[in-house]
Amino acid sequence: MTALLNLENVLFYIVICLYFLATLCYFLFIGLKRDALGKAAILIQTLGLALHTAALVCRGLGAGRLPLTNQYEFAASFAWGLCLVSLIFIHRFKFPVLGAFAAPVILLVIGYAAMQSREVRALMPALRSSWLGFHVSTAIIAYGSFGVSAVLGLIFLLRERMRDRGFWDLHVPAREKLDLISYRSVCLGLLFLSFTIITGAIWAEQAWGSYWSWDPKETWSLVTWLIYATYLHLRIRRGWKGKAAAIFAVVGFVCVLFTYVGVNTLLPGVHSYA
Amino acid sequence: MKKLWKFLGSMRFAILLLVILAAACAGGSFIPQGLDFQAYAARYSERTAGLILALGLEDVFHCWWFLLLTAFLCGNLLLCNLSRLPQLMKRTKAAADPAQLSAPSVTLEGLRDPDPVFAALRMPKPREGADPQGRTLRWSVKNPVGLWGAWVCHLGILLLILGFALGQATKEEYTVYGVPGQTKQVGDSPYALCIRDFRVEREADGAVAQYSAELTVLDLSDPGDPLAVDTTASVNHPGSAFGFKLYQNSMGDAATLTVRWDGETVQETVLCVGEHATLMDTPLALLLGSVIREGEAVGYGYQIYVGEELYDRNVQWEGDLIPDFQPYQVSFSQARAYTLIQMKRDRFTPLALLGGLITLLGLFLAFYLQTCKLWAVREADGSWTLRGSSPKGGALFAERLREAAREAETKRS
Repeated sequence: MTALLNLENVLFYIVICLYFLATLCYFLFIGLKRDALGKAAILIQTLGLALHTAALVCRGLGAGRLPLTNQYEFAASFAWGLCLVSLIFIHRFKFPVLGAFAAPVILLVIGYAAMQSREVRALMPALRSSWLGFHVSTAIIAYGSFGVSAVLGLIFLLRERMRDRGFWDLHVPAREKLDLISYRSVCLGLLFLSFTIITGAIWAEQAWGSYWSWDPKETWSLVTWLIYATYLHLRIRRGWKGKAAAIFAVVGFVCVLFTYVGVNTLLPGVHSYA
Repeated sequence: MKKLWKFLGSMRFAILLLVILAAACAGGSFIPQGLDFQAYAARYSERTAGLILALGLEDVFHCWWFLLLTAFLCGNLLLCNLSRLPQLMKRTKAAADPAQLSAPSVTLEGLRDPDPVFAALRMPKPREGADPQGRTLRWSVKNPVGLWGAWVCHLGILLLILGFALGQATKEEYTVYGVPGQTKQVGDSPYALCIRDFRVEREADGAVAQYSAELTVLDLSDPGDPLAVDTTASVNHPGSAFGFKLYQNSMGDAATLTVRWDGETVQETVLCVGEHATLMDTPLALLLGSVIREGEAVGYGYQIYVGEELYDRNVQWEGDLIPDFQPYQVSFSQARAYTLIQMKRDRFTPLALLGGLITLLGLFLAFYLQTCKLWAVREADGSWTLRGSSPKGGALFAERLREAAREAETKRS
């Protein structure tokens, strides 16, 4: 067990270094406009994701449970989710520039994880449930998707301001496509956030006798859900596409971050361990 | 009047409600809930406290305007779904009708064979017919059920809110606490709860693994013939009896208070931490404040009240007596854990759950079963003109279609 946790420790720091290196390569790719650097950055990020997966597996085996139960584990998994979703979008839409914006966010989140206590503690009885895996893993995918949509929103907003249009035209999808990819990412996030809320409600009903009790974390998940539901309705009703949608995606992610970090620190409730 | 109905079921109204509800929820999470005027005044100012109470912000999620907003949201969802139903049925029917194939988002001309494109886009096997001009027409429609996504999602949310509201209005909820061996009346209900056993299971390192209570629920509706159901409640595994779910909610320390006179026990009461007992016929009350464990030694923190005034506080160790009550011999002993059981009966939880699952299904249909149509017409020169439309696919669908057509043509040549 200790050996596995030690290995996780080593892997975790290697992963931080790889994500840092990937961020650097992405920046150089944009700065020097060399495609090889973009490819190297994707490769390093992919390697980082593989080792990150291994680190989480080691943590899970070492702790004898899913590594999703405290601030450190959730932050590390959140970074993993962001990395996974961003790589899927990079490959799916042949869009390496996305990495240049996603990698710093991943680095930020994993940096936050590194600042948390990494001690392996026994789980409190309420967390010993098979719903834990469903609830938290869907939250990771949801947060990761919203993160990617915010990054895409930022790229959308910056795209027009870039001087070297040739490079941007070659490596960044057209605005309409960018907007649609961001929309797809929000859809994925909203679906998984709904899964998170519903699996959480089922679990809360079993553990606490109430599937909804207006706990700050529950309330802010609902606020996030309502914000993205508004975003989807505005797209249809008022044709809020393009710039307005991009701003909305960024604001929505700020709300996601508040739900994740802000609620834990400012509004303690029954989710204060998460 | 018609205009009002239209507005109440409109998307504009829905957006307004979503924004206000989000703001209200966010506000409600920042303002501490359930405090009184003095507490708010101490925290903020008297003026702010007055404003909080006047607007019902001390109980945002149950105040009249929040409930009204939620009711409006339900009305909006219902009206929206009712008004869209005929249109949706028409669109679903039209999706399979070749006469309705119009307004393509992409048109590709000069194709030699459209079938590989249908296959590349994983469209159902195309059907063949003739267009109004008599030309050969092949068409295929994928995921017409996707048109129903938003409608199904709205229905799910409606059921979810309805289940939650009905559950809140009709639920029966009681809490009972005690130590093993005690039987307690369950609130004002005809039930009693007997705590047969309560265990705290621990890991090898001492960490708590599970709290588990063995219970018997007695239905005393007919005192001559009481019914009994045995059940076990542990964290994450509620017990059940007579339609109630029994949750292992909490636990704490308890002890037995014994009063002796001349060596004979004259009063014996089980007190949980925070509870008090009046001693015999005296004005003295004894409150059990805490149970202290130091190695093998067990102590009981207590407070003595005369009327409502605190007279003394101290710690009595196991085996000692509390000195203030001579000639009575008063002592705490038998420190043990008490369990707090929550009994709840909410008949509408399954409705809320169903609503949640339907919402998920609706979102899946809306986002991942996107309707798209593809149709090809054979021109006089033998080439095919391919047209496609996907309301939600937009530029991505157009790109995929062009790519598929390009690949099909390359392979053919």
